[in-house]
Amino acid sequence: MIRVAGAEHPWRPGMTVAALLAELAGDAPGCPVVRIDNEYVSRSNFAKTIVPDNAEVFLIPMIAGG
Amino acid sequence: MPGHDLKLVKTFNYQRPAIDRGYANQTLHLDLSRLTITARPVSGQMKELFIGGKGFDLWLLWNAVKPTTRWNDPENAVCIACGPLGGTPAYPGSGKSIAAAISPLTGAPIDSNVGGYFGPYLKYAGFDALEVQGKADQEAVVLIDGIDQKVEIFAAAGLPEDAYELSEVMTAHFAQGKPRDISVVSTGAGAKHTFFGCLNFSWYDPKRKRARYKQAGRGGIGTVFADKGLKALVARWDSGISVDTNAPADRERLKKVAKLHSREIVELDPTQNEMAVIGTTHLVTIMDDHDLLPTHNFRYGSHREAANLGQAVFRRLFDPGYDGCWMGCTVACSHGVRDFTPLSGPYRGRKVFVDGPEYETVAGCGSLLGIFDSHTVIELNFYCDAYGLDTISVGTATAFAMECFELGLIDARHTGGLELYFGNRAAALEIVHQMARGEGFGRVVGQGVRRMKRLFAEKFGADPAIMADIGMESKGLEFSEYMTKESLAQQGGYGLALKGPQHDEAWLIFLDMVHNFMPTFEQKAEALHWFPMFRTWFSLCGLCKLPWNDIIPEDNRSTPEPAKVMKHVGWYAEFFSSVTGRESAPEDLIRMSEAVYNFQRVFNLRMGFGRREHDALPYRAVGPVTELEYESRAERYDKQLATACKVDIAGKNTAEKLALLRAFREQQYETLKDAVYQRRGWTPEGIPTLATVRRLGIDFPEVVALLTVNGVAA
Repeated sequence: MIRVAGAEHPWRPGMTVAALLAELAGDAPGCPVVRIDNEYVSRSNFAKTIVPDNAEVFLIPMIAGG
Repeated sequence: MPGHDLKLVKTFNYQRPAIDRGYANQTLHLDLSRLTITARPVSGQMKELFIGGKGFDLWLLWNAVKPTTRWNDPENAVCIACGPLGGTPAYPGSGKSIAAAISPLTGAPIDSNVGGYFGPYLKYAGFDALEVQGKADQEAVVLIDGIDQKVEIFAAAGLPEDAYELSEVMTAHFAQGKPRDISVVSTGAGAKHTFFGCLNFSWYDPKRKRARYKQAGRGGIGTVFADKGLKALVARWDSGISVDTNAPADRERLKKVAKLHSREIVELDPTQNEMAVIGTTHLVTIMDDHDLLPTHNFRYGSHREAANLGQAVFRRLFDPGYDGCWMGCTVACSHGVRDFTPLSGPYRGRKVFVDGPEYETVAGCGSLLGIFDSHTVIELNFYCDAYGLDTISVGTATAFAMECFELGLIDARHTGGLELYFGNRAAALEIVHQMARGEGFGRVVGQGVRRMKRLFAEKFGADPAIMADIGMESKGLEFSEYMTKESLAQQGGYGLALKGPQHDEAWLIFLDMVHNFMPTFEQKAEALHWFPMFRTWFSLCGLCKLPWNDIIPEDNRSTPEPAKVMKHVGWYAEFFSSVTGRESAPEDLIRMSEAVYNFQRVFNLRMGFGRREHDALPYRAVGPVTELEYESRAERYDKQLATACKVDIAGKNTAEKLALLRAFREQQYETLKDAVYQRRGWTPEGIPTLATVRRLGIDFPEVVALLTVNGVAA
C-alpha cells in the first residue's frame, strides 16, 4: 500500500509513476512533478521511475516558482 | 567599543506618530552632504496612487533626481520602504522591505524586495519610507531609533569591512541588551569596487543567537549605498509586535484571513515543496529535468551532475530550525548552513554560519559556471554576502567571462593569469575575492556584462557580435537563473521587465512551456500584463510573493484560472481591505499596480531607457547561438523548423538551419512585443499612451510633457 496525496492507494510490484498517474486519471491531470518521499521526479522520468511499496507520493503543482 | 569609534554628528528628535491603518504618514529624508534630517508628510494622493513600498520609493526617487542624474551623483537616493501591510506578524510573508535607487548597471530605477526586519521597524519607528541623498565626508552610520524617538548620524571609524561582522557589531552596539530590537542594513567591500553591490538586511535569530541576513541583491543598490559613504543603517524598535501594532482598520477581519492563509501553509507546504525545510532548492533538479537549469553561461538547460546541487544535498546541509525572515511567517524558507568552513579567503579554516543558498545562488554560482560542487556554491554565497555582492550578477557576469575565455576572446594575459574555464572553482572564488579587494580581473568582471562587452571589444579586440549574443544582460542588468530558449512568454518575462531580466515580474516558464496554458500571442500578452501587475502589488504592500503561489490550495486545479491562484488573490484583497480600510476587490489590486508599473516605465523613459529598443534580448535567451548548441537539441529545433516555420530542412546544414531558426524566433519575439505593448496600453514604441496615464491617474504635467516630447500623440 502507498499513500498518494494523503489517501491510501494499492501498490503492486513494478508500478511506475506513469502507471500510478494513469490509475489516478482525473485526479492528477497534467501533473509535471511528483515527490516520492523526499525525491522529486519530473514528467520525463515518470515512465522509468518505480514507486516503492509504502511510499508517500505527493503531486506537486508546479505553476509557481521564481 | 574596542576597535572602532562612532562619533555623533547630528541628532534629530521627533514625536513618533501613531500608526494609522498601516501607515505612519510621513517619510524620513537624510542628506549626508548637508547633514540634514527631515520628516516629510505623506499625502493622501501618494497613498492613493503609489500605495507604499516600491511605489513610495519610485515617487521619492522621481522627485530626487533629474533626467541627467547618474548613479554616483549626490542627488541619487537610496530609498527603502515597507508598505501598508508590512509588519503584520500574523500573515505569512508580511515583513518585506523594498529598496530602490538609480542603478549603476542600468542607469534607470532599480528595485529589490528583501526580507529582514528593517522595513517594518522603520515604519513602526514612524516612517513609511526612508530616502538618503548626498555623500558623507566620513563613513556614516545612521540610527533610526523608534523607541527613543530620535534619528542620529554618526561618523564611523574602525568598523569591520564585511557585512557579517559589521551587522553583529552594530547589533551589539545599539541593542541595549535586546538584539531582536535591531535590524541593520549594510553592504561590504565588494560594493565599493563593482557595479552590483547588494544590501544585507538583518534580523536577529534568538534561537541561534546571531544576526541573520537577506539580500536586496539586484541592480547595485549596495554600490550606491557605499558610494554615499554609508556604512550602516540601523533601525531600533520594540520587537514585541502584534497585529495591533499596524493599527488595522478591522482587526478581527485581518486575524480571520491571516489565520486562513497561515494555517493552509502549515498544512500544505509539507505535502508540496517543503519550503520550510529545503527553501527553493527543490527547483534545481526540477529545472534540470525540464532543460531549464542554466549551465555554462546559458548554453544548455541540464547537466548530468545537477543532482549534486539538488535539494537532497541541501536537505542534509541546512541547519534545522525555524527560518522565517519575518516574525511568524509560516513559509519560513530562509535557511542556512551552520559550521561551514571556507577553503579560501579571509575566513579560510574558520567555522561560519552561511545564510543560504537559495535556488538563484545555486544556479548562478553553480551550474551556470559549470560548478557542481555544493561546497563551492556555499562558499561563493558566503563571500558574496560578506562582501556585499549580488550572487546573481556575480554568477552571470563570471559565466560570461568564462565563456569568453573558452572561446579565446580573452586569455590569461587579460585575466591576470586566471585560467577562467568553466568549472574552475578556485578561479571563481578568486574573482570574488578580487572584487572585494578592488584588484585584478575581478574588478573587470565586477563592472557587469554590458561594460565587459564593450571593454573586451575595445581593449582586447574581441568580436562584438558573438559577445552581443552570449552576454546575458538586458537593459544592463544580468539575467537571473532560468533558461528561456523554449518559452517565448518567459523571454517576454525577462525582456519586457522594467528593471531588466529579473524573474520577479513574471515567471511563466511552466505555464507556457510545460502546461501550454498560453499558446497564442494574445494569451501570452494577457499573461505578461496580469502577472507583472499582480507581482508588482506585493512590493507596493511590503509582502513576499511566495505564499501566493508556491503553496497552492488543494482545489486550485479545479478553479477557472488555476495559474492565478485566485483563492489567494481574494485573500490578499481581504488583507488589504482589513488593514487599510480601503475596500478592494482582486481587480483593484491590479489597478493599483498598473499605476505604479506605468509610472516606472515613464521613469525609465525620463532616464533615457524606456523604449522598444531597450527591451532587446541577447540571442542566447531566444535560441541556440552556436552550431554545438543547435546540434545538442537538433531534434527539437529541426521539428520547429519543419512544423512552425514550414521549412524543408532536407539537405540543409547546421549553419543554415541555425540562421533560419534565428530569423523565425527573433520575429516571434518582436511580434510578442507588439502584442504586449498593445495589451498594456502602450504605443508600438513601448511608451504608455496619454490615455493610459490619464486612466491611471499618473498624468502629472511632467509625465504628459515627457510623453509629448517622445512623440506620444494626444
